[in-house]
Amino acid sequence: MEPIRKDELEAKDCGSQAPKSKPCPRPKPGEAAGGCSFDGAQITLLPIMDAAHLVHGPIACAGNSWESRGTLTSGPSLSQYGFATDMSDNDIIFGGEKKLKDSIDYIAGRFAPPAIFVYSTCVTALIGEDMDAVCKEAAGRLGIPVIPVNSPGFVGSKNLGNRLAGEALLQYVIGTGEPEDDTKLGVNLIGEYNIAGEMWDIEKLMNSAGITLMSRITGDARYKEITWAHRAKVNMVVCSRALLGLAKEMESKYNIPYFEGSFYGAKETTYSLRQMAFLMNDREMERRVDRLTEREESRVIQDLRPYRKILKGKRAVLYTGGVKSWSIISALKELGIQVVGVGTNKSTDDDIARIAERVGDDTEFIPEGGASRILKTVRDRKADIMIAGGRNMYVAMKEQIPFIDINQERHRAYAGYEGLLRLAKEMTYSLANPIWKLASSPAPWDKEVPYDR
Amino acid sequence: MTVNKRIKPASVNPLKIGQSLGGVLALQGCYRALPIIHGPQGCSAFPKALLTRHFREPIAVQTSALQEMDVIFDANRNLEEALNTVLTKHRPDIIGIIGTELMDVAGVDYQSMLKSYKRERNLRGGLAFSVTLPDFSGSLESGFSGTVEAMVDELIQQAGHRNQRSVNSRQITLLPGSFLTPGDVMEIKEMISAFGFEVITVPDISTSLSGHLLTGFSPLTRGGVPLDSMLQSLQSGLTIAIGGSMERPARRLHNAIGTPYKVFQGAMGLKASDDLLHFLHQISGEPVPLRYCWHRENLLDSMLDAHFQFAGMSVIAALEPDHLYSVSQWLDELGVEQKALITSCETPVVSGMEREVWVGDLDDAEVLGNGADLWISSSHGLAGAERIGAAFMPAGFPVWNELGAYMSTSVGYRGAMEWTNKAGNLLIRREAVRRESSVRHR
Repeated sequence: MEPIRKDELEAKDCGSQAPKSKPCPRPKPGEAAGGCSFDGAQITLLPIMDAAHLVHGPIACAGNSWESRGTLTSGPSLSQYGFATDMSDNDIIFGGEKKLKDSIDYIAGRFAPPAIFVYSTCVTALIGEDMDAVCKEAAGRLGIPVIPVNSPGFVGSKNLGNRLAGEALLQYVIGTGEPEDDTKLGVNLIGEYNIAGEMWDIEKLMNSAGITLMSRITGDARYKEITWAHRAKVNMVVCSRALLGLAKEMESKYNIPYFEGSFYGAKETTYSLRQMAFLMNDREMERRVDRLTEREESRVIQDLRPYRKILKGKRAVLYTGGVKSWSIISALKELGIQVVGVGTNKSTDDDIARIAERVGDDTEFIPEGGASRILKTVRDRKADIMIAGGRNMYVAMKEQIPFIDINQERHRAYAGYEGLLRLAKEMTYSLANPIWKLASSPAPWDKEVPYDR
Repeated sequence: MTVNKRIKPASVNPLKIGQSLGGVLALQGCYRALPIIHGPQGCSAFPKALLTRHFREPIAVQTSALQEMDVIFDANRNLEEALNTVLTKHRPDIIGIIGTELMDVAGVDYQSMLKSYKRERNLRGGLAFSVTLPDFSGSLESGFSGTVEAMVDELIQQAGHRNQRSVNSRQITLLPGSFLTPGDVMEIKEMISAFGFEVITVPDISTSLSGHLLTGFSPLTRGGVPLDSMLQSLQSGLTIAIGGSMERPARRLHNAIGTPYKVFQGAMGLKASDDLLHFLHQISGEPVPLRYCWHRENLLDSMLDAHFQFAGMSVIAALEPDHLYSVSQWLDELGVEQKALITSCETPVVSGMEREVWVGDLDDAEVLGNGADLWISSSHGLAGAERIGAAFMPAGFPVWNELGAYMSTSVGYRGAMEWTNKAGNLLIRREAVRRESSVRHR
């Protein structure tokens, strides 16, 4: 496969029913779905496992959201603590800066984290708390980085929050540290959050190819490793639109080339690994990657055979909103599954172009409309399985449609060659479960067979 | 006795859930209802995700999707747009507008906006009300009861023109507290109707969040008490409120239309169940159905069987105020030591308790409960329980690491038996694990 950077693609060339250009739209009151920027910022930063994450605001922003993400840790777990300043009405009237300062001191004193991230919320942003100043003062006094993340919920969508978190990393973290002398320079993974342990599968692959993983941004990361991210030779943006800006900035600031890739599906995984080696400019590494990917691909084809037999020709509707749409499609195609509908509500034109590249002409694009619209597509196109985020899981269950959870709350890792196999298994089990037949058949007394005397 | 608080600036591992989530939960118990959270998107997305995770059901909730500029210029424009969209597309019977703390801080007057909107659009046949539930005070429980109170208010106003109220003394309005699961509400309904009463439950999550097989997606709630039953409930001869927090809506009904009310602060354990059944027996004049006499004996027998297990054990419970009161009463009957009782906010019920109660978070639970054998709290407490080596019993909200938690029953004799056995089993397993590891290390 020739490594290229796919920046510009014309959707109309693909001859699909791709929707028209659509810039980041304002959420529609009464029909909006999805989280806020605060949520997005936390998604990006919470996987920094050894740091403390303090939410400055009334309780609900932290209280309703902590421990709700499937990002796993291999060691420190401080980021799984929920810290909040829990502002009361008095704090709002008289200002909460003192409370924030005390909270930072308290956390630093008791837990001694390598860094503290402080998140603003709508209320603290509105009453004009000077968080940056408090953080700066505390950082100077305590001698640890205290990083303000200005991403209150009302500035926009979850994606914007991801981006703002990326900017905070760029402004306060990246470039503040240096790797140990004997560290081999390598690749940063940007936008991989170690959901269900996917990072570990990827890490294993990279290790066997001899590619050093420098900084994980941010799945299962330690604060320290992000500080030296600027020394990496290559940045890989793992199917994340929102952190593309971070990679672009690092390219112009530190001269690190980047590429976008994904680990969903054998082909995409192979492409990503090859692209890494190619950009590292290391012949020997490229040869190692070739050997590894060949071996792994042939193994996975072998292992997939029984599942492919069952899955071939099955029809799926995919509704993941974000960028994952296009990367999952490749994985599904390798399993022989036909994607008959795909959600594009949160995708950019670029994503849509990539989706169009990967699906057939008869695939329906679902631009908006939420759950009812997805269900209509499932029925109209006679889909066998629905692949979407956890929020829609019980909608599918009510309609008795087999379902695979693909978003950040999920419990299965689908990345890499192993992940593809896991996805195939998961789908086979889901389709084969007896419940679909049981749930759709009526109780014996409801069957309309009159009792014959 | 006393309500204490540990002095620390930040909340660590919060126990408190925002009030607005309680409001959303209350509206899930009404048929064809839709809560609209007046605030940024996240204020509805988080409760939706959390409620979905706990109940394993789709949750109906919408938002006015405020952004920075909307808050600064005119937040009510968004609310109007949301109302227009929702009314034309989904035609809900009940709309509850839940004002977030941001609206309080920004000083948005959505109450009058709703009033004039209703007048202009001539909204009839439906119920639309607003309730202010800022997250900087109260907790899930107060959000729930506050929403029920606002709903009852609106009901009374809507029915107000018809002055002559015919009282149906065989009909009881049940106001279940926020800590009751759909299974609990079902059990209490059964108990009341076993004495020949008609029960109208407001709100009734037992018919909406208990798991049903209705197909056909709707963004509105798919079960719960319908609006006409709610209007009919104004003719009830009596209101029964479960949980101290539900006294306010019950009193509201009493003050406005004169319905007498009875509050049961707890519903868990032998005595609480005795009280409820005895009361029902007295007001109905019917004998206590045989099955409850059986359940009572079953419970006492199971407590006899289990009492060996509870000897010398200590428990820590971190729950919402009413729930904590209920659970503490049950723990009293088991004879275990209550090492620390922790709740999310102070209410008259907890300050009236005979035991010492702490207002705090799950980190306080870890510190105060160090050395406890059993830990009772929401799933957030799992990590803390592991750290102090206590057996973990999920209860309250949210519970995500156990299937069917939303249907587990804690009220009545059967509920107390279920909980007694569950807690006892956890202690047995813990003991076995400990024994094993001590043998291995010898």
